[in-house]
Amino acid sequence: MTVIRPSDEYLEQPYYRHLAEGTLHLNCCNDCGAAHHPPSPICPKCRSFNTGWKPASGRATLNSFAEARHAVHPMLGPKVPYVITLVDLEEGVRLVSGIPEGMRFDLKVGMPLECKVIRFDEAFALPYFLPVGEGGA
Amino acid sequence: MKTSIVGLGQTEFSKNSGRSELKLALEAILGALEDAGLEVNDIDGLVRYTWDNTSEAAIVNALGLPSLSYYGETEFGGVNCCGAVAQASAAIEAGLANCVVFYRALNARSGVRFGRGERVLAEEGDWLVSRQPEPPGDIYSAPFGLLVPGQHHALYAQSYMGHYGLDEERFTDMLGGVAVTQRAYANRNPRALLKDKSLSLDDYRAGRVITHPLRIYDYCLETDGAMAMVIVSQEKARQLSGKAVDVLAAGQYIFPGSVPMYLYAEKTYSLAPEGAAQQLFGRAGLSASDIDVAMIYDATSMMVPIALEDFGFIGRGEAADFLSSGGNGPGGPLPVNTHGGLLSEGYFHGLNTIAEGVRQLRGDSHNQVEGAETAFVTLRGASSMVLGRA
Repeated sequence: MTVIRPSDEYLEQPYYRHLAEGTLHLNCCNDCGAAHHPPSPICPKCRSFNTGWKPASGRATLNSFAEARHAVHPMLGPKVPYVITLVDLEEGVRLVSGIPEGMRFDLKVGMPLECKVIRFDEAFALPYFLPVGEGGA
Repeated sequence: MKTSIVGLGQTEFSKNSGRSELKLALEAILGALEDAGLEVNDIDGLVRYTWDNTSEAAIVNALGLPSLSYYGETEFGGVNCCGAVAQASAAIEAGLANCVVFYRALNARSGVRFGRGERVLAEEGDWLVSRQPEPPGDIYSAPFGLLVPGQHHALYAQSYMGHYGLDEERFTDMLGGVAVTQRAYANRNPRALLKDKSLSLDDYRAGRVITHPLRIYDYCLETDGAMAMVIVSQEKARQLSGKAVDVLAAGQYIFPGSVPMYLYAEKTYSLAPEGAAQQLFGRAGLSASDIDVAMIYDATSMMVPIALEDFGFIGRGEAADFLSSGGNGPGGPLPVNTHGGLLSEGYFHGLNTIAEGVRQLRGDSHNQVEGAETAFVTLRGASSMVLGRA
């Protein structure tokens, strides 16, 4: 689901720019290799400012999920119910994600997931995560 | 700590206060000074949340206070309710101030509501736009519809269910044990917003799901009003009326990924940092088993089981048994939120949570735990406190 987007100044940043180009990239340390999210000017593992971007494998496990049934904004009225997820990526970072509109899965904490980037327009795409074998990656 | 809470003041809890947050704050502050038996001009320090709209300067100007020698602010709202007391206490112990008032005023029902996405989103054409750098409703979580704290709590709840393998029925009985017990406390508390509304476990089970797995009765009440408390040194407190309650220990914590919303914390089914309980109880010279009554900031009911486990009142994974068998109720091993909590008394952003701990140790709670000598207060482990009868 979404009718919500980050403002343009954030869509112009590398995280969302890479997604708009079709792939999930993670902010990574060029010295120790650790990935981190949300993006940051410094590596929280080795404190190096020498950071860059690397494509994520897209493999993740489901940390948690919740189904929003109550719309907390009038424009979300037609969107409920929708599923929000927390996913733990193979690279050791957590992302907030969700299940795309119109899809339903039997979710279980700890299940393996794979990434599916969905584009909404030229500037804006989001990384969703689906159960393995359900059309992700 | 060598400080005491000597005065409490508050407005009524309501859905529409009909007055400004400044006026609410002033009413609560004057009430707290009167309760303490102190003069308004005795105030020489103020602490507040950065989220409060009423600044220290507004209070000083409105009351015509001679001067403040100290003022301090804490971030992340109610997360830091005990941290604000720690800050006031530290200022007193450092000699920066003698009489510090901690206040919170909010029209959180008739004004800006924490439970609404409008708080964090702008409407621009066909889109809702986020410009928030941090949760809730930040640029990385908002596009998936994760906007308000109550949705985050549903994520902790599902994580807890998954980690401990609780089925839906046991989970429902666990949180029902929080909501129903607290409502019964509120039914005996004339201040409580929901004092006249009973809640049975069947009512709870039939409650509307807001964000699965949480129901309407798992959520706190958006509330208008204000509360204030007066903090002085223990030495000064002994010279005042017999209403003092001692701050035995108070602290605040941040660890990577934790506040404001724990989205990126390593564990999402446990929210206190490693060692928080040992540090807090060690400073107080007590252990969890010495605590007579607990006040747990219940933005949702899910905070209660997590805090009970995080601070060692019960073992990991034991909350379902403890809460579904009335362990938090009157006569239980650890009565919890005897005012009714934020779920049923009202929401003064944690100050009423602290206040009920104070009232229990004064001996004037409407659900008095006989002989209570010690009270524990926490919000999600992000800040916590031990209070002792003076």
